[in-house]
Amino acid sequence: MHIHAYEKLWLALSIVLILALIGTVTYGAVGPGVAMVADSQSTVDPGALDEDDRFSEPRVEQVGENEYEAYVVAYQFGFEPTPIVVPANSTVTLHVTSRDVIHGFEVAGTSANAMAVPGEVSEITVETDEPTEYGIVCNEYCGAGHHVMEGKLNVVSQSEFENRGGDSE
Amino acid sequence: MGQSEAVNAPTDDVGGDGEEFDPIGTLTLIGIYFTILVLAWVYIYFIEFLGRDLVVVG
Ligand SMILES: [Cu+2]
Repeated sequence: MHIHAYEKLWLALSIVLILALIGTVTYGAVGPGVAMVADSQSTVDPGALDEDDRFSEPRVEQVGENEYEAYVVAYQFGFEPTPIVVPANSTVTLHVTSRDVIHGFEVAGTSANAMAVPGEVSEITVETDEPTEYGIVCNEYCGAGHHVMEGKLNVVSQSEFENRGGDSE
Repeated sequence: MGQSEAVNAPTDDVGGDGEEFDPIGTLTLIGIYFTILVLAWVYIYFIEFLGRDLVVVG
């Protein structure tokens, strides 16, 4: 069979490209540690979140040095807590669920994006940098108020975070 | 082009190896397409995706 030299070249380049795509995704998983939402979290009763250890009180709590857990409940039409306040330069694990219908949880302009599914808990771990404020949007159509459903994620300095905690306790 | 299509003899294919049609423009286009693909992928993955805040790591 006769194959033109350019065709052979393009086939070779295609294979190079495929290997490069696989290579970069592998690098992403191994280097920066990019991960995805898993089903590792136990389920919850969406009708009885107020009796649930994790979600009865949507909150941010410290679980280790520079490690924080946030428990977030999405509902028609908003997020609790609002704002979600987390310290800068820390590791934050967000646990997101819904108490009514399926919602989205997207920290606008960032890679933090998960679904909020009633009965299920989406767990994503992110690392915060400098103090800043992010908006959170619901990206799953969830009803008449979907377009006004928003939240806030405020990254504040460590000292500001500690002061805040002291005030409310 | 029209001629070589008209002359559809197998002998022409085999014997034509020495005087293949190797347009430099096509080679350039292949190069440009490939460069665009590579640059687009580098931009999408390393700059847009990994460069964003709050990369999900767990
Ligand atoms: Cu919603």
